[in-house]
Amino acid sequence: MVLERDPALEVVDMPINMGPQHPSTHGVFRMVLMINGEKIVDVVPHIGYMHRGGEKLMEAMDFRQGIGYCDRTEYLAQFSAELGYCLAVERLMDLQVPDRAEYIRVILTEMNRLSSHFMFAGAFGIDAGVFGTSFTYAFPQREFLQEVFEEVTGDRLMYAYFRVGGLAWEVPDNFVQRVHEVLVHSAQGLKDIDDLLTKNEIFMARCQNIGNFSADQAIAYGLSGPMLRASGVPWDLRKDEPYSVYDRFNFEIPVGNYGDVYDRYLIRIEEMRQSISIIEQALEQLPPDGPIVPEKMPRRLRTPPGEVYSKVESPRGEWGVYLVSKGGDKPYRLKMRSPSFCNLSALRDMTVGQYLADAVMILGSMDIVLCDVDR
Amino acid sequence: MLPEGQEPEASSDAGVTPEAAAADPTPAEKPDAAAPIAAPAADEAAEKPVAKPAAERPARPAKEVEPKEAPRVAPPPGSINEVLATAAGVTLTAAYMVPEMKGECVAVEVSRDDVPAVMTAARDDSRLDLKYLRCLSGVDWQEEGLEVVYHLWSFTKHHSLQVKTRVTYDDPMVPSIATIYPAADWHERETRDMFGINFAGHWNLVPLLLPEDMTDHFPLRKDNPLQEIEEWQGDNLRDGAGEGDE
Repeated sequence: MVLERDPALEVVDMPINMGPQHPSTHGVFRMVLMINGEKIVDVVPHIGYMHRGGEKLMEAMDFRQGIGYCDRTEYLAQFSAELGYCLAVERLMDLQVPDRAEYIRVILTEMNRLSSHFMFAGAFGIDAGVFGTSFTYAFPQREFLQEVFEEVTGDRLMYAYFRVGGLAWEVPDNFVQRVHEVLVHSAQGLKDIDDLLTKNEIFMARCQNIGNFSADQAIAYGLSGPMLRASGVPWDLRKDEPYSVYDRFNFEIPVGNYGDVYDRYLIRIEEMRQSISIIEQALEQLPPDGPIVPEKMPRRLRTPPGEVYSKVESPRGEWGVYLVSKGGDKPYRLKMRSPSFCNLSALRDMTVGQYLADAVMILGSMDIVLCDVDR
Repeated sequence: MLPEGQEPEASSDAGVTPEAAAADPTPAEKPDAAAPIAAPAADEAAEKPVAKPAAERPARPAKEVEPKEAPRVAPPPGSINEVLATAAGVTLTAAYMVPEMKGECVAVEVSRDDVPAVMTAARDDSRLDLKYLRCLSGVDWQEEGLEVVYHLWSFTKHHSLQVKTRVTYDDPMVPSIATIYPAADWHERETRDMFGINFAGHWNLVPLLLPEDMTDHFPLRKDNPLQEIEEWQGDNLRDGAGEGDE
């Protein structure tokens, strides 16, 4: 007698929908995972829920108005986004930004990197199953940083503080002292998170050897920022194609060995230490007074015709702005090369073959901002 | 923000000059009739010849001095465009320098059929070694067609290269390079969404950012106007709007 198996009991591929309203998708992101047992065999990411046509809208805005739109696109690293945009227009207009403005830009951008990475550490802890603890450690630190941003810019989220050529207005008188105060908090908060997560055995077991990407793969997929460096490519635009005044500071570029989720976490933690060091150096070198806009600043910004691709190292990677101008006061075409979009495009190849539970960790390790993905 | 329909008559194109000319003599400037600030329209200047002797301000320089196109400077001999042409075995339509953040880089224009060969050569040739596709953008040049711009970078040689190709509205097809550079996958899908450029050979050219059924409407093309309110906001929120052009 031959024993037959019931074909209905065979393991078949099953689609699982995740998102768009799911806490671990970090926004409105949806992916349809095809799983076989616990293994992922295919992923279909769906983005575009937040698409607002920013590139089209910016074609109707003049160069100053476009700055506000950068905030709305990259709402966790607003200063990086503004900086990339301003640099593109400044390069086309051939404007020389005064030193004091450059230093304040660097200080704020690096503080923004801290606040963004705090956000990452908090949210990533939740992805890993630490429940609220990492979040409650990280969020007060982000709040301290945001208080300074609010004092400087008057806004908590949409700063619109950088201008083409410099800054919108002078920082408050106690700016340097306030930044020093906040850095003390940040260093402590960083230590707290480090103590909580980095050497935690469960966290390590959860993160290590998932979502591995080799250096060649990372380059081919156009990854950038911590994702690229985790795969062992020592590439940081602040160091390798320095913009603003980054060539005047001493800092290290952390590089990973394995290209897995744990490396990406470690790199961001180390980057925060480096950012604190950069801010301290910048505060020392900051000229006590001086102009914050060029002396010969035209009232209406007009670029000559031409094109430029500017890029800055945002907390998520290479934030690029491809600006095409036909002359006049509006961009003819403006493409925002957002690091979240490019990093997320590798999701499929990073998750296929992994376990279902790890997909959440891999997505979390990308540190995407959905507004930045969809623009 | 998606415009509801394509209304060709709704102040569509970038016709700045007629609008600016119409908006220039605003009521705010009327009292100052002794010295009209802005009168770019030729017939108005002819109507008030009396204004000319009383000109305390220097005459406005002619608007036409502003160049319409960026000057094109040929790359110095021995640049990577020559290496690229020999490595790929194609003729480059044009090669010139474009500004980068610091310094300049080479931009080359190729015909669309040469794109895969050029990209493969750029990636694999050891003298170029451009393994990193930074960015892929579409640009609508209106009557001059649609353009696709590839930004490449080499981690080892530390040089960058822009590759451009043009297609017409009637036949907006460019061979896909998603198999050569996997990074191009989503960029090409986005460019198809926004400009309607079909990347032939792409394995999954379905709408990415736009709704699944929105396959015949290309928001970033110039013939696709913004809603009137958006144009209006752009013009009216501007500092000094209505005060003349400068």
